[in-house]
Order: sequence, then structure tokens, then C-alpha cells
Amino acid sequence: MSTRGTGRANGNLPQTKICQFKLVLLGDMAVGKSSLVLRFVKGQFDEFQETTIGAAFLAQSVCLDDTTVKFEIWDTAGQERYHSLAPMYYRGAQAAIVVFDITKPETFERAKAWVKELQRQASPNIVIALAGNKADLADKRLVEYEEAQTYAEDTGLLFMETSAKTAMNVNELFLAIAKKMPKTDTQNPMHAVRHRGVNLQDPDAQSTRSCCGN
Amino acid sequence: MMKEPKDETENNENRKNISSTVPNGISGDPAKTLGLLHGLRVCQDAWAPKSPWDRHGAHTALWGRPAGSFLVVQGSLSQDQLLCVSVGDSGEPVKEFSIMTTEKALRLTASHLAFPDLFQLLHFYTLSRDVLPVCLLVPSWVYTLKNLPDHLVPLLGPKTWLCPSSDLQAKSSMTPETAETAETVMCTIQVTAASGAMCFINPLYLHEHGDDWLTHSSANPVRHPLRRDKRLSTTRTWEGRGLKKRSSSPAEDCSTFNNDRGSFEKTPVTPSTTPGGVVLRRASGTSKEDPLKRASTDSIQSPLPQSPHRVSWIEDKIWLNSPLPSSQLQPPCLELDSLSVSSIEEESEPALSPSPSLPSHRFQLADKMKNRLSAVGQAIGGLMSPQRRLSNRVQEMAERKSGAFAEAVREFIEQTLTSEPTPEITYTEMLQEVRSSLTALREILFDSTEIQSITDSFGDTPDFELDSMLELALHKVALKPVYSHLYVCLKTARRDDGTLQRLEANKSILEDRNLEELEGAAGAGVPDSSVMEKILQRWTAMHEAYSPSKKVGTLLKVCKNIYHSMNANAKPGTVFGADDFLPCLTWVLLRSDVATLQVDTDYMMELLDPMQLQGEGGYYLTSLYAALFYISSFRPRVAKQQLSAEAHRSLSQWHRRRTLHCNQSRRSRNRRTIRRHGSSNGNRRTSEERNSLKASTESSSLTDDKSDTHESLQGLDEELQVLKEEEEGSADREQVQLPETIITSPQIDEKDRAVRVSWNERS
Repeated sequence: MSTRGTGRANGNLPQTKICQFKLVLLGDMAVGKSSLVLRFVKGQFDEFQETTIGAAFLAQSVCLDDTTVKFEIWDTAGQERYHSLAPMYYRGAQAAIVVFDITKPETFERAKAWVKELQRQASPNIVIALAGNKADLADKRLVEYEEAQTYAEDTGLLFMETSAKTAMNVNELFLAIAKKMPKTDTQNPMHAVRHRGVNLQDPDAQSTRSCCGN
Repeated sequence: MMKEPKDETENNENRKNISSTVPNGISGDPAKTLGLLHGLRVCQDAWAPKSPWDRHGAHTALWGRPAGSFLVVQGSLSQDQLLCVSVGDSGEPVKEFSIMTTEKALRLTASHLAFPDLFQLLHFYTLSRDVLPVCLLVPSWVYTLKNLPDHLVPLLGPKTWLCPSSDLQAKSSMTPETAETAETVMCTIQVTAASGAMCFINPLYLHEHGDDWLTHSSANPVRHPLRRDKRLSTTRTWEGRGLKKRSSSPAEDCSTFNNDRGSFEKTPVTPSTTPGGVVLRRASGTSKEDPLKRASTDSIQSPLPQSPHRVSWIEDKIWLNSPLPSSQLQPPCLELDSLSVSSIEEESEPALSPSPSLPSHRFQLADKMKNRLSAVGQAIGGLMSPQRRLSNRVQEMAERKSGAFAEAVREFIEQTLTSEPTPEITYTEMLQEVRSSLTALREILFDSTEIQSITDSFGDTPDFELDSMLELALHKVALKPVYSHLYVCLKTARRDDGTLQRLEANKSILEDRNLEELEGAAGAGVPDSSVMEKILQRWTAMHEAYSPSKKVGTLLKVCKNIYHSMNANAKPGTVFGADDFLPCLTWVLLRSDVATLQVDTDYMMELLDPMQLQGEGGYYLTSLYAALFYISSFRPRVAKQQLSAEAHRSLSQWHRRRTLHCNQSRRSRNRRTIRRHGSSNGNRRTSEERNSLKASTESSSLTDDKSDTHESLQGLDEELQVLKEEEEGSADREQVQLPETIITSPQIDEKDRAVRVSWNERS
């Protein structure tokens, strides 16, 4: 108690703004949803990693210039029989990655259906990214890049072909999403609360690290 | 304001029998004061040596030192500290004075003068003896410490502190060093008889802080403006029920700024926000003054600017002409410790009347005892974990029947226990009511100075952590008394809407399925019998907990068990995502008491702080809810399209409701309600439901129109599934009631039926 008079460290807020977003992963079973996120989360950012009990829920931060964007990543079960449960997961999500496997056209069709559903039923301002995963299996490609690219443009999605295996475009994808997120988010109460002067991370780590390996 | 030296002498006469060797009075040079405060701060290790030092060490070190030399060490039993002072008396050379840490401040146990920190306390006692036999003596080099290079400061230890040769201004060993400046003494400590009270005035403090804080009671004491500013909340009184606003929290700062007030109010920090200053505590001796004046606060409230420092022994001995209360120079009556606050209050306040306007003598007594208890509790509190301290204080506040918080809690409990789901009020509405009441109660706590004085001592704890700590504390006082009742209501409602029956029935259809049949990943393990046993125990523990937060904690442990089993025999490096986890969770649920789990899940979903619906806990709670929904809605015979349409409809309602709920909680920074049934809010809710219905209608019709290829593929799957079911001979059991809604109320059912009719017409 004798230290009460010595002042509190409340004033030392980090310079960076911290925004937190819920990101939901959708896509058919076995298209590599978890691998993609794991590559992102574990890839090169061990320092930022938050320990979670399993890979179905992961959290990871991305630094932009003046903002730290923290994603809470909600994985969903891709099996059709669990399809009807998805709204519970994407409810309130501010971002979504819809993943398909470039070697399986049916997963692309399924991805389109997800996009349609999200645009209809999810939060109106949700940022949707389409990821053509398993880009390393180019020789087995059955979904052409142009086709997916055109679809994404028409639908107003971010699009990248990715490979969780080689890490191709994985960080880029999340960075692109992070850039597209509204930085004055009003949807996320967590975000709002954490702005009441909360230092989530070591400010040094935030300021000295450049982001996403770029 | 200037005093004549003779006044002081007169007024100190009653102290002369103790010691007349050290006069009160000292130079009031503010620069010097600041120097001293700074110096004390810098060399704290020198005068308050850490652990190996105890009172024995201090006694030894102080033996033979000039009178007034002192050290502060930890007390042997409590967290409280001891001020050991050399008094230069041959009989008892060193005396001890325990320093009590009360909720807002520090004070010597024997005195009633409280200070915001130890430095100011010590500074005061270099100027005034109050209950000490001598003034404290500070080596003069302390005043110049601000000029000392930082790296030298750690070298200053108790030896330096006490070394008589280290330029102590000990010209006279019985005089404080500052006595050398006696010619310039402006007599900071004054005696005045302003407004009938004889008291000391320290113009220095008056100059620093003004005197407006004097008119504030200790119910509204020293606050940390930082916390206030962070929350930007106004303090307002609890009106029992009804709206409780946190006028504009930073939640709106960066977001929903356009709340109903339209603008921020940077709340002018209340005048009581005094960064430093002295908290006055009333003397605990029997007071003969007007009871009205002192009825319910512990502080001295006077209409006029008065003394920053009112020395307690004068107050009682001269001013009040009462015999010196024996308790005053003694530690708090420890025999009271065995009494619980509540038992005292039961006796002292039979009626629940919140009006303290005519306090009885017993009332005052109870107040006093509470004060004592809380002081003791505070002392012990130092040893407890922050959560424990908060919880204890919240508990205490909830039992203090005259308090606003206790009143609100009591009303909440009363109201909740008498409410039951009716055709008009669904159980979800009922639980939402409970949730918003909890949030409102938490706001009261957050704004309470008592709680702030505790949380301020936690240092830089983020507000959301404080919220969850308060939430936990609140669960104990508010949810614990009502949770059995809520469970009964929930269970009845879930039975009435057929969910529990459907769960049980479908469980028996599905329970023989292995993980592959649930489309779990090949290679993922399922819990073996011993892990399953453990999980069942955890489910039981989860069920028995009354706190939704604790329940979620247990749920996470179960999920961890499941992950562990999945990984047990998997190839190293395999990582299981939701594709694998959800089937596995479903598999586990099919071997658990699904009906109980459903009720537990409802309880958590509705009562968990919306903040905690985020993050990992939120994710796995959603998964639990989803898996239960999968089981309860499993209907192999129904064509896929219909299932999908219905699922979408009810989920959309659920979504809508939860979003509303979430928004509500988000907005609840401005809009806090403990609603009464049949209140005017009913209209609003109805219109919300209408909207929700509209939304669901739209979504289900859209779903209908959907004719994607995967739908027909899925239809095929389902047919195959049906064939399989029939082979299994479970067809008879499929005559389960169609799930009207998953979570909606009977009230909505009627409208839902209309929706389905329209849907049927189309198909």
C-alpha cells in the first residue's frame, strides 16, 4: 500500500490502435480451412500467438501502420450435415474467408453458395475473401484462376489463390482483409471496450515488429 | 489564518503529560514539502526496508537513535505496516504504531487521520504529533534527494537512514531537524474554532487542494480521476429499478457515438476527485452531537470549509467533552470479527425501509460496527487475491441493507423469484431480463466508490477484466439465490416446447453411431471410457455451478479433454479443426445427459456477459449449442429442403434475438433496465419481434427459392440416410414433434405457423 502514492502507469497506452474482429472460416470439408489458418497463426508469428485449446478457434494479430488488427478466427465444420449450424458461427462476424480447393470444382460451387448465404444473412458489412486453396497442386487444377477471379470481381470479394502447404499468399490474404476492415468498428463490443485504455500486448513488440513478414 | 504560538501551546496542554518535548509546528515552505515527499518516495527502501526486516530488526536499529527516528516495517501478522518510532524514552525506547490500510486511505490505527498514501502520512507526522509522542524525524538529506543521481538511490538503506553522522540536523537530539527554521515558522498547523469546531488547519494543504473536498462525505471520497475518465461515467444514484445509464462510456467514444444523448459528456470530475488530500474519519467514540448530522456516513460533513486536518483526540476530548473512548487508541475491537455483518444488521434494522432520515441509535451502532468490521476486513483483505477481495466486498455491500446496491440486489432477487415464464413472457425474455439486471447491477458496482477504491489498488487492470471480476462477484450475490428457480423455469419451458423430448429421442437414434457416421475425420480419436468418465464428471460440475462464467470455464476443460482424445492416436502434427471437432463433440454429447446439457447451455447463452460470448469461450459455447441443435433437429425423414428452411428460420430468429441481445448489451452503456413485467417496454419488444418475424420470413422464403445443385445432392444424401434409418428399424421413433422453433417462444409460434403456411403454399 505504500506504493499508492507513486502513481499508476495508466497513462502509458500504446500508440497503436487495437481493433478486434471476428472472422469466420467457411468451406467444404477438407479444403484446408484449418491448415490455412494454422499456417497464418503459427507461420512466422509465434510471438503473437495466443494459446487456445484447439485449432477450431484461433486468434492472431496483424499489424498495420497505426493499428493492430486482431482476428478471432472461428472455424466451422464443412460437412453438409452441419451446414444448418453455420449461422450460429457467422453471426456477428465482421470478416469471412470462404475456402475452396482448386482441384475440386464442387468445392468451388459450394463456396459460391456460402458467399451467397453470407451476403444474404450475415452482417451487412461483412468483408468476404475467397481463397482458392491448394494452389501448390497446380497440375491437378480443375478450377481456373480466371474463373474464380471473375466471380470474385463480380461479387465484390477479395480473392487469392493460396497454399497452406507452401504458405503462398497466406499472410497476404489476412493482411488484405485486415486492410479492408473498418478501423472504427462499431460492431464489436470487445473492440470498443478494449479501447478503454487497454494494453493487450507488449507495446514494444508492437512497435518494433513489422507486419506479416513484408 | 496565522496562528499565535501561544494558542498552540494552550491547545497542546492536554498532550503535555505524554511528551512536551517536541512542539508541533514547522516551516510551511511548499517547496520543502514537495522535496520531502519526493525524497521519501525516492528512498522508500531506506525507511521502509523490505522483508528480512521486521519489528525486532527495527527496534534494534532504532534503539538509541534520536527521538523521532523511525522505520516502517511489515507487521508480523497482517499486511498492515508498523511505524516504529524512537521516542528517546529510557523505559520504552521504541514505540510501535500500526498503520492501517482502510479502503481509501492509510492511517495510524490509533488515530483518525487518514492519508492517501504513506508519504503524506509520514510527512504529516513530521509536522504534527497527533497520537505520536514525538514528531517524526527525517534526515535533512532526504530533502535534497531530487538532486541525487538515480543510480545512487538504491544504495540508500536503513543504515544510511538512521546513521546519526549522515548529516542529520540533530543539533538537539530531541528536536526535529526542521526546528532550525523556527524563526520562519508560519505555523502550518493551526488551531481554530471556526464553526464551533476546534481543529488544526494546515494551510499548506488548503493551498494545494482548496477546501471544496471538505464538504464531501467519505461515501464519496478520494477517487482516481484516471479510472473515472476512462469510463467517463457519471455517478448517479440508483433508483431501485428502471434505467441505469452509464452516461457515455468510451465504448461509445469510438463507436456508437450517436447514442440517445447525442453527445459525449466529458463528465466533469466531481469535486471529490482530489488527487491528494485527507480523508476524514469520524471518531468512533460515542458521539453526543446531533445524530442526524452523522447518521449514515462515516465522515464529518460540514457546510463550511474547515480543517483539512482535524485531530481526533481534540475532537473527542475537548470539543465533544466526552471521556476518551477506550477504543480510540486501541486496535479495532477484534471480538467483533466473529460476528457477521449480516447478523448485526438483522438485529439493527428490522424493517427494510430505505429511508435513513430518522436513524435510530441501533442503526448508528450497526453503522459503527460495520465500519469496524470493514476496517478489519480490509486489513485481512490485503492478503487475499484481488478477485477474493472484490467478491468479499460485493458480498458485504449486498448484505448492507440500507445501501443502494443491496436494495437493488434484493429487489432483483425478489422479482426474479416471483417471475415465471407465462404465455406473455417467454423464458428467454425472462432470462434476458435477468441478464440486463445483472449488467445494471454491475454498473452500480463499477460506479461505487467502495469498489473503485479496491479496483484502483489493482493497478493497471483493464476495464474488461474488472468487468469480468465484478461479474463473477455479482454471480455469487445475485445469481446464486435465484439459479435453482431459473433452472426450474428453463427446464419446464424446454420440456413444454418439446426440445428435451426431441433431444432424448434423437439421442437414442444416434447414440450408436460411431465417429465416421457422424462424418468425423478418419484418424481422430474419441474419448475412451476413462476420459468419458472424466467428461461426465465435468458436465456434472458444470451443471452445478451457478455462475455462467464458471460453467464456460468447465466447458473449455471438457473441450480440451476432447481435443486430447482426438490427438491421442493421431499422426503427430495432425491438427484438428472444426471439421473434426464438431463431430467429436457431437459424439461425446450423444453419450451424455443431453437434456441437462441443453438447459445448461441455455443458461449460459442467455446469462453470460455478452463480452464473454466472444472469444474462445464463446466459440465453444456456440459449438455446444450447435451440436445440441444438430441432435435435437435431426430428422432423417424430412426432406432436406424443408429442414433447411426450418433450420434457417429458427436460427435466423435466434440470430436476430442474440444480435438484439448483444446490441442491447452494447447499448446498455446508455440503456440499462431492470424491467418489470407489463412495463411500457412491452411494446418495444413486440415490435422487435415483429421485425424478427419479418426477417425470418424473408430468409426462409429466400432459402426456399434456393435451388443450388448441392441442395439436390444433399436431398439425395438424406434419402439414403432415411433408407439407412429404416433399415435400423428406428422409423417408429421418428414421429417426433416438428421443432417449431429452437429457441423462440410459444408466443411467436403462432406467427411462425403463419410463416410455415405461406411456405407450404409455395412448395
